[in-house]
Amino acid sequence: MARWLVLVAWLLVLVAVGAFAVRNLHVGTDLRSFMPPPQSADQKLLMDQIGEGPGSRLLLMSIDGAPEERLAELSRGLADALRADPHFEQVANGAFDLAALDDAWLPYRYLLAPTLDRHALDAAYLGEQLEQRVEDLASPAATLLKPLLPRDPTLETMALAERWSPPKPPQTRDGVWFSSGGAALLVAQTRGAGFDPAAQGAAIDALRGAFRALPDAGAAKLTLSGPGWFTVLINAKTRAEADRLGAISTLGFVALLLLAYRSVPSLLLAALPVASGALAGVAALALVFGGAHGITLAFGFTLLGVAQEYPIRLLSHRRAGEDALSSARALWPLLATAIVSAAIAYLAFLASGVPGLQQLAAFTIAGLLAAGFSTRYLLPRVLPARFSDAAGTPGLARAARFIDRLPRPRWLPWLLLVSALPLLWLAPGPTWQNDLAALTPVPQDLLLRDAKLRGELGAPDVRYLLVLAAHDADGVLALSESLEPKLAALVGQGALDAAELPSRYLPSIGTQRARQAKLPDAPTLEHALAEAARDLPFRAGLFAPFVADVETARTLPLLTPDAFARSPFGARLGSMLVQRDDGWLGLATLSGVHDAAALAALAESTHGAARLLDLKAASESLVVAYRERILRALGIALALLGVTVVVALRSARRAWHVLAPMSLATLLVLVVERACGIPLSLFHLVALTLAAGLGLHYALFFERPVADAAEGRRTLHATIVCVLSALLVFGLQALSSLPVLRAIGLTVALGVGFHFCLSILMARAGRGPDGGSA
Amino acid sequence: MIALSLAWPCLAALPETAAAASAGIDAAGLVAGLKRATPARTPYTEVRFSGLLDRPLILRGELEYLGPGKLGKRVDTPYREQTTVADGVASVRRGDRAPRTFSLSQAPELEGFLRGFAALLGGDATALARDFDLAASGNEKSWQLVLKPRDRRLAMRVSTIEVDGSGGTPQCFRTRDRDGDVSVLLVDALAATALPTRPSQPLVGALCRGFKVP
Repeated sequence: MARWLVLVAWLLVLVAVGAFAVRNLHVGTDLRSFMPPPQSADQKLLMDQIGEGPGSRLLLMSIDGAPEERLAELSRGLADALRADPHFEQVANGAFDLAALDDAWLPYRYLLAPTLDRHALDAAYLGEQLEQRVEDLASPAATLLKPLLPRDPTLETMALAERWSPPKPPQTRDGVWFSSGGAALLVAQTRGAGFDPAAQGAAIDALRGAFRALPDAGAAKLTLSGPGWFTVLINAKTRAEADRLGAISTLGFVALLLLAYRSVPSLLLAALPVASGALAGVAALALVFGGAHGITLAFGFTLLGVAQEYPIRLLSHRRAGEDALSSARALWPLLATAIVSAAIAYLAFLASGVPGLQQLAAFTIAGLLAAGFSTRYLLPRVLPARFSDAAGTPGLARAARFIDRLPRPRWLPWLLLVSALPLLWLAPGPTWQNDLAALTPVPQDLLLRDAKLRGELGAPDVRYLLVLAAHDADGVLALSESLEPKLAALVGQGALDAAELPSRYLPSIGTQRARQAKLPDAPTLEHALAEAARDLPFRAGLFAPFVADVETARTLPLLTPDAFARSPFGARLGSMLVQRDDGWLGLATLSGVHDAAALAALAESTHGAARLLDLKAASESLVVAYRERILRALGIALALLGVTVVVALRSARRAWHVLAPMSLATLLVLVVERACGIPLSLFHLVALTLAAGLGLHYALFFERPVADAAEGRRTLHATIVCVLSALLVFGLQALSSLPVLRAIGLTVALGVGFHFCLSILMARAGRGPDGGSA
Repeated sequence: MIALSLAWPCLAALPETAAAASAGIDAAGLVAGLKRATPARTPYTEVRFSGLLDRPLILRGELEYLGPGKLGKRVDTPYREQTTVADGVASVRRGDRAPRTFSLSQAPELEGFLRGFAALLGGDATALARDFDLAASGNEKSWQLVLKPRDRRLAMRVSTIEVDGSGGTPQCFRTRDRDGDVSVLLVDALAATALPTRPSQPLVGALCRGFKVP
C-alpha cells in the first residue's frame, strides 16, 4: 500500500515539475550562445557580423526551369511579394531603378552624385551636356534617356545608378538579373539574424510560400543558398538525426534492460529516476536562466545517459533476504562519491563563460543530483518485492571467473603509457581544430553552389572588412571620403578587385553642403540653360522640371544617416554604419583581396582610425582563447576529481587504483583519436570529461572490497549493463553524419571501452578467484 | 523578282494604291523576293522626329548588316558616332568618350528593328510572321509592308514598323513609337535624297513612297 502511495506521489510531483518547466522555459535558438564570449574589439565585431551582419542575413535565390521571359516574370513577381513581406528588409533582382523613385527623393541626386565636385551648372557645362543629349536622342540609346530627359538633362540619376550598382553586376535581361547559366537571380536580406534558425526558418517558409503562390509557377524551380538557409538545413538535419538516434537507442536500451532484469515493472520504475533527473534539469534551467538553448536540451538529455547508471546499480545489487532500502543504503557511499565526482566535472563548464555550456552544466548537475537522490530514497520504496538476483544470471559466473583469471601483469599499464606517448607526439594532422567552419555539417556541394552564386551576384567576400572608427556617423563618412581616392588607387594597382565604402552611398554633411552651395538659383540657371540650348533643337520650356528640381535641391535639408536609412535606397547604408557605446563604426566591404599587406599599410597610415579586420583570423583567435579557457577549467575539474576520490576512499593507495586506470584510459582515447588524424575540438574535450566520469564509476565499483563472490558478480552484472547501454547510445552517435555528434559519440564510446577494460585490469589488481582481497 | 499574284488586275499600274489588302500583294511572296547577300552595306539617311525637339534630327552615314543580330551603324554627319550590335548587346561610341554599352532588352525598339531587318534581308517570311503581324499593300514598283509586333514587350514601345520599297529592295523603314516619336531610315537609292532643313513628316512619308520631292 505504502508502495503505491509513494509511486503516485512521485508521479504527481514529476507532472507538476514538468508543467512548471514547460510553462516557464523559453527555448532559444541563437547559435551564438554556444560561441565563446568575445574579448577583443575585433572579436566583438566578428560576433556581430556573424550573427547580424548583412552578409549573414543575405539569402541568395535562383530560379530556373522555364523560358527566359517566364523566369523574368517570376523574378519580378517574387521580388514584389517579398518586398511586401515583413520578414524581409531588402530585395533586389535587377538594376536599381532610380526613375521609379517618388518625387520627394529625386532632387537629392544633386547632393548625392559627385558631379558637382568637379563641374558647375554653368552655360559651358550645360552646353556640353545638352549637345550630348541631342546626339543621344538620335542614337539607339534614346530609349534609355527619353523618360527622364526633361527633368535630368545632365543624367545625374544614371550616374548614381552606376555608382550604386555592384562592381561586377550580373547581366541584365528584361530588367532582371540572370546568371551565366540562364537562371534568374535574386537576393533578399532577412530581418532576423543569420544565426537564429527559428527566424530564418520563418523567413524561408514565407519565401517558399510566396513562390508557390505566383501564378503559373509551373515547372520552375527555386534554389536557395546563404548562411540562413544553411542554418535551417543544419537545424532540421540535427533534429531529424537526434530523433532517429534517440528512438533507436531507447528501443535498444529497453531491450537491454528487459534482457538483464527480465521484469517489466522494474524497467518502468527504473525510468523514473532518469525522468526525475531530466525534469529537475529543465526546472533548474527555467529557474536560473529563464530559458534554454535547444542544443543544451538536446545535449543534456544525452549526457543524462550517465544517470541511468544509478537505478541499474540498485537493481543489480539487490539480494535475497534484504529489502531494497537496505541495498540502497549499503550502496550509497560509493554511489554518492560517483554522483559528486560527476557533478564536479560539470562544474568546470560553469567556469567556461559560454552561456550555452553554463546552461549545460546547470542542467546536468541538477539532473544527476535529482536522479541520484531519487534512486537512494524513492526508488527502493516503489520497487516490487519480487526480483531475480542478478548474481544468478546464467553465464555470469563463467564470465566472472574468466575475468578473474585474466593475466594482470604489473608492467602492462606502464607499457601502454610508454607506447602511447610517442604516438601522441607523432600524430598526423593539426592537434587542434581551429576552424569554426569545420564544425558545420553542410555538405560540400551546397557550399560550392553557394560560392558560385555569390560569384555570379558579385556579392563581396566574407573574409575582409575595413573598419572605420569615429565619434559620430558624420565623422565616419568624412573619414570614408578621405579614403576613397587611396582605395581607388589600390584597386588600380590590383591589390584588390573592389571596395565599397559607406560614403559611396551617403556623402558627409560637409560635402553635401558644399555641393548644395554650388547649385545656382533659378534665374541664373535659366539664363545658363538658354545660352547652352541656343543652337540646339530642344523644345522651348522643355527643361522646366529640371530648373524646378535644382531650386528644390538648394533648400533641401541635408541627409543624415537616419534620414537616408528611411529612404527607399537607404537599407544598404544601414548595414555599413553601426553605433557602438563609444562612437560609430563604418564597415567597408572588400572584394577580391589579393594584397592584404597593402591594405593593412593603408590602414596604418590613418593612425588607428581605420583597421583591416580579417574575420577568419579573428574567429580562429576566438577559438584558441576559448580552448585555453576550457583546458584550464578541465584541469581544475580533474584535480578536484582526484581530491574527491582520495577523500572518499580515505586511502591514497586505493585512490591510486581508481585514478590510474581512469587517467590512462583518457590518455589512450586521446592517442587513438590523434593517431587517426582527428583534430581535437571543444566537443572532444566535453566528451572526454563525460567518459572520465563514467570510467570513474566503473573503477570505483570494481575497486571496493566485496563480501563474497556473489556480490562481485552483481557488481560485474551492473557494470556490464551500464557499459552496454553507454556503448549503445554513444556508439550510435559515432555513426552520425553531424561532426559534433560524431565527435562526442566516438570519444565517449572509445572512453567507455577503455575505461571498462583498464578498470578490470587495474582496479581489481591482485584479487583472487574467489573475490577475496589480496 | 516579286512573285506577283495573278489575281491582280489593272490596279497594278497605280503607284499609290494602299489598303486594297483584300486583293493585295502577298506579303510572304514579297519578303521572299527580298533576299540579299550578307554583308549588306548601304549608305543611309536617318530622320528622327521627337516630341522633345522642335525640329527633326537628320543623320547620314553607313549601315552594315553582318548577319542575324549583328549590325554596324556609322554616323558621319553632323557628328561622328559608331554603334555596334552583337550578341544582344549594343555599344555606342562617340569621339573619344567611353562607349555606352547596354543590352538589347533595354532598347526594344532597336531589337524590334533588328529582327525585322534581319528577317527582311534574309528573305525569311516565316521568321517575320512569327514576330510580327504582316500587312502588305501596293504593287511591284511601289509596295508597303506594315509590321505590327506580336511580342508584348516590344508592342509596349513600338506600334508599327512600315517598310516601303520598290522592286526587290526595301528603301525606307519607318518606326513609330507608342509615345509618338517616329524614326525614318532611308537606305539604298533614297539615301542620297536631298532634304530641306526642317523636313515634315508627310514630306518624308511621300519620299518613302516613291514620290519625287521638288
